[in-house]
Amino acid sequence: MTGTILLVEDNELNRDMLIRRLNRAGLEVIAAGDGQQALDLMRSEQPAVVLMDMNLPVMDGWTACRHAREDASISQIPIIALTAHASDADRLTALEAGCDDYATKPVDFPGLLIKIEKMMEPR
Amino acid sequence: MTSGPSKSTAPWSDLLLRNMAELRELYNHASDQFDEDAQADFARLFDGSSRMDEMLRDADSSRHDLMNVLSAVRGYSEILREDLSAEHADIDAALARLLKAVDSANSDSDSTPARASSRRIIHSEPGFILAVDDLQENRELAARYLSRSGHIVVTAASGEEALLTLDQADVDVVLLDLMMPGMDGHEVLRRIKEHPEWRATPVIVISGRQDMDGIIECIEAGADDYLFKPFNPVLLQARIKAGIERKRWHDREELYRQQLERNEKFIRATFGRYLSDEIVTDILERPEGLELGGDLRRVTIMMADIRGFTTISERLAPAQVVTLINRYLGAMTDIIMAHQGTIDEFIGDAILAVFGAPQHRDDDADRAVRCALAMQQAMEEINQRNREDGLPEISTGIALNTGDVIAGNIGSERRSKYGFVGHPMNVTSRIEDVTAGGEILIAGSTLESLQREYRVGQSRELNVKGIDELLQVYPLLGEQS
Repeated sequence: MTGTILLVEDNELNRDMLIRRLNRAGLEVIAAGDGQQALDLMRSEQPAVVLMDMNLPVMDGWTACRHAREDASISQIPIIALTAHASDADRLTALEAGCDDYATKPVDFPGLLIKIEKMMEPR
Repeated sequence: MTSGPSKSTAPWSDLLLRNMAELRELYNHASDQFDEDAQADFARLFDGSSRMDEMLRDADSSRHDLMNVLSAVRGYSEILREDLSAEHADIDAALARLLKAVDSANSDSDSTPARASSRRIIHSEPGFILAVDDLQENRELAARYLSRSGHIVVTAASGEEALLTLDQADVDVVLLDLMMPGMDGHEVLRRIKEHPEWRATPVIVISGRQDMDGIIECIEAGADDYLFKPFNPVLLQARIKAGIERKRWHDREELYRQQLERNEKFIRATFGRYLSDEIVTDILERPEGLELGGDLRRVTIMMADIRGFTTISERLAPAQVVTLINRYLGAMTDIIMAHQGTIDEFIGDAILAVFGAPQHRDDDADRAVRCALAMQQAMEEINQRNREDGLPEISTGIALNTGDVIAGNIGSERRSKYGFVGHPMNVTSRIEDVTAGGEILIAGSTLESLQREYRVGQSRELNVKGIDELLQVYPLLGEQS
């Protein structure tokens, strides 16, 4: 696998853990703490995949997703939503906002890795 | 959607805390066997656990925040499992259990069917529980389990802190971890059982491992019960309940004992100086027989004094007077008390005693008569000693009279005594006035009250103020031989 992962997560404990695990899986990771920062980094760094928490300060995940889909320069970057809710409605909300997939917290890491891998495969 | 900690989150969070506590204990014993990276990961894992504690306690924290922490707990647990070497199979197993608990939290907590046993809550009288454990998770866990069944839980992180709490609060049950740095559980137990006020507080000891020897040692040292970690919440509640009941019984018993002691002290203080020990004990054993307050009693009154004492004392030094009078009064007091008489007062060399109050007996008059005879007989020995000490010989006259008097606590709020009021008191005094030294004069009323026969001499007639008829008095000569 090549390419950088953008992790958008405001919770420090969880962010550090995910960075650690992604690094251990051989992935390069950059991180953002809010939706606005995420959009900026997507534009400047063109990451291979974005892992985005939905409850974010400044700009929430759903809004950031919608903006990303409207911006041609980054609309193709796959986004995996990280949600705290396991209900169908929450998943749908994330998918409707333009996310390509989702993972529920507490994150099943092997499952998440498979999703990331799939998205990094050339289409 | 935010949901604070609700009862429905309890089963999985209990399980999680329990597994976390178990893991931390295992880790604490082996922490030096891990490299820096692993130590850092353990530190982050436990950090996550403390944050989770806070969130579960804080009603405002959101499910989102909770899931973030759970996610971190899960992540670090998995990292650690990947890195652990085979020698740490126990820690690996603990991590696996922890992950399972995280899973059950993840699969929607509201619909997780809790195991029947962890749902079951034992209800008991609420108590004040002191949970002593150096590990925060264990304290938190005990507090959660027990506050759920209505107890108030205070925690102490060390033996020293536990003793401070015991000093300040009335604790019903102590839940005591044995393995603690500093003052350990064994020492805390020893101090509790040595302390006069804490001794009765039930102590439930908790052992981290299946340490049977340690438990047996504690039970021998006075522990009331024990639990092994990780403890079953229902078992904990049941043992706490039993502990509280024991404590309540003890408290009630102690209160009752103190009341009895106070009553007995009061009665002894009130009557001890007038009554023989025998009478006081008798009253204490049958409190219903004694009615306080003024009431009319038929009693036999005794008055005795030393003939011509004023003249005698004028010829003696003050110290000699005191020796003389104390010797006489001391001997007389012993005899009166031996005959279960109540000494009302000493007036100078005169003695006023009553037979039949506060406790009535059928032989009141008989005892008074025998008492008077014994007193006269004792004069011989008193005079013998007086002669040896170069003191003058003395003689006493004793008057007895029987009649109805008011007996009770007489006086004011500030100063009162058990005393007697009534005309028969004055009559006795009048008889006493005409009694010669060595003589016992008894009124007709006393003679009529006697159950046994006594030898009496020729009756005399006495004019008493307030009585129209002349009063018949008889010199008492002795018992019927």
